[in-house]
Amino acid sequence: MKPSDIRKLIIRSLSEDANPREAADTLEKEGITYDFGNSFGGIVIDRIFGTREKVIREMEFLRSMRFIFNRVALTGIAAIILLLISIFIAEGSISLNSFLGIGNTYDEGMISLLTGN
Amino acid sequence: MKGPYSQAEDSELVSASIAGDKLAFSEILERYRKMVARTVKGMLGDSVYAEDIGQEVFIKLYNSLPEFRGEAKLSTYIQKIAINLTLNEIKRRKRFFTMFSQKGNDEMHEFEIADNDGESKRDAKEIVNKALMSLDPKFRIVVAMRMLQGYSTKETAEILELPLGTVLSRLSRAQEQLKEILEKL
Repeated sequence: MKPSDIRKLIIRSLSEDANPREAADTLEKEGITYDFGNSFGGIVIDRIFGTREKVIREMEFLRSMRFIFNRVALTGIAAIILLLISIFIAEGSISLNSFLGIGNTYDEGMISLLTGN
Repeated sequence: MKGPYSQAEDSELVSASIAGDKLAFSEILERYRKMVARTVKGMLGDSVYAEDIGQEVFIKLYNSLPEFRGEAKLSTYIQKIAINLTLNEIKRRKRFFTMFSQKGNDEMHEFEIADNDGESKRDAKEIVNKALMSLDPKFRIVVAMRMLQGYSTKETAEILELPLGTVLSRLSRAQEQLKEILEKL
């Protein structure tokens, strides 16, 4: 198509009574097309789903961290309860002294323990 | 090679994309990339910025899919996103060029017209590009809708959310301007 024909086509296509598809179809037939580069689709998908997958990975990491924390906390609580029970069985009470292991120790006994006499 | 969604309706693709189906969104992208390219490149020229805006159009589309109610056609919805982002880019660049250049728009237009096609095709495309770039954005958009997308005046008015009379008067004024401009090319 000659440049002069293209100029005429452009002008004609803007008339009120023009066939709206005429210019678009003719230009496409003439190979005047518009498209993005070959990597366009891949880049868009990576930008959308790459970010999405990163967010999902981060959420999964946080979820597993919370699960681990719960496990550790429960185990810790169980250990403390067992310790308190064992103290109660061994010392007969769960006072501060028995918790510190000095429940049955008298002052004199403590001095001889510390001085070695 | 045709994907599993090549025969699917737009509504099906939208639902699957919202559910996170990558292949469904890839199909939307393939179906509408040329339409978006015509709008974005028709308005901004064949530049790297047009590629970036094209990407932003599809990213914005993906993020706003849950809000798409299907009252309008998907193509119209995408077209509106493309037009809004392109007009925003034109405003942004106009501000930038006005700030850093005395020549303003003239320099911007020179920068935009470039492509890698063959000689004769390039000549023809250059005429189309120069014709579009010579117009003010509000005229350029109606001309691009008609000349590159083949939309009727009514369809253009619906997409741009303008009264029919405004679209007609803009087409008419653009035609007058182009008669003068194209004579010089």
